[in-house]
Amino acid sequence: MSDYDFDRVNVLLAEDSPFIRSLLVNSLKVLGVGNVFAVEHGGDAIHFLQRVKNEPMKVGVQQIDIVISNWDMHPIDGMMFLRWVRRHKDSPDRFVPFVMITSYTEPERVLQAREMGVTDMLAKPFTIKNIGEKLISIIERPRQFVHTKDFFGPDRRRQKLPFDGPERRVLTDKSEGVEIIRG
Amino acid sequence: MGKSKVIVRFYRFKNRLKEKTAGLAPGKVSISPEALEAAEKALEKMAEEYPDWVSGLIVKLQEQHGRCVDTPEKRRESLEAINHIAHDMKGQGGTFGYPLITTIADSLYGFSYSRDEITDNQVELIKAHLDAMRAVIRGRVSGSGGEIGEKLIDGLNQAIAKYSK
Repeated sequence: MSDYDFDRVNVLLAEDSPFIRSLLVNSLKVLGVGNVFAVEHGGDAIHFLQRVKNEPMKVGVQQIDIVISNWDMHPIDGMMFLRWVRRHKDSPDRFVPFVMITSYTEPERVLQAREMGVTDMLAKPFTIKNIGEKLISIIERPRQFVHTKDFFGPDRRRQKLPFDGPERRVLTDKSEGVEIIRG
Repeated sequence: MGKSKVIVRFYRFKNRLKEKTAGLAPGKVSISPEALEAAEKALEKMAEEYPDWVSGLIVKLQEQHGRCVDTPEKRRESLEAINHIAHDMKGQGGTFGYPLITTIADSLYGFSYSRDEITDNQVELIKAHLDAMRAVIRGRVSGSGGEIGEKLIDGLNQAIAKYSK
């Protein structure tokens, strides 16, 4: 068994609480994450990603591998930031794994983030173990991205559960109207 | 026949992040236990500074409470600020070993959420929350706080029953 090497991983962190921000930066660094870029809210995060796209040499990073963002921030919150990442033409990587931190754990909140294309949720209060589990899940179990007329994001079906009944999904990979893009 | 219309696109990419972090070697990969332990230690160290941080937030809450008393016409504004700070606190307490702070902040958060009219009783109730928080921090009541914790929460619940009319 070997250990992950996070040294080449670039994380963008948007968190408005200075205490939680330094906590997360610290934790990620100690876990071995090479670069953690921390900003104070969604607006700064968008600005940062625009710079990564337009002047990567100046920023010193070619690509952000994982975004971790708080939900409740001002003036631009985590949902607006997520929407920008997934849908805006200036977004440097619409497929980047996006983890939303929230102390809102009401199901409708989770659903709302999922519909906007969130990759995973990290509930406050969190532990180091929670952070580690999210990293492993992102690395080991990436989901295909789905693009329909009203959704863009990681596949909302996470599990492949055994199902005895007849297959009622209308579309398969071979159906007309289904396009598979590999890269 | 023309090209059929695309209804859904599936994007399936090579797992570059896995290549980047685990290389191409087969076999199970995990996070190094040493790194996890070091990170836990770092978190513990930060937790030691947590009471000071919370004390600062309690002072801010106190200022807003004072404003509620002094300028009743601006209560709404103050309540919004209180709601914000409470939200911040409720996410942190448990992380640093003070779940009681999370419990009290959660109650304050729910209570201070978008109210149209704020009565004097409700302003008193804000104070009850602040007193409870201060007691937790002053007494360094970590964890569930045992008997003291129970007493604090009971006291707060009594205040809620008394004032929330």
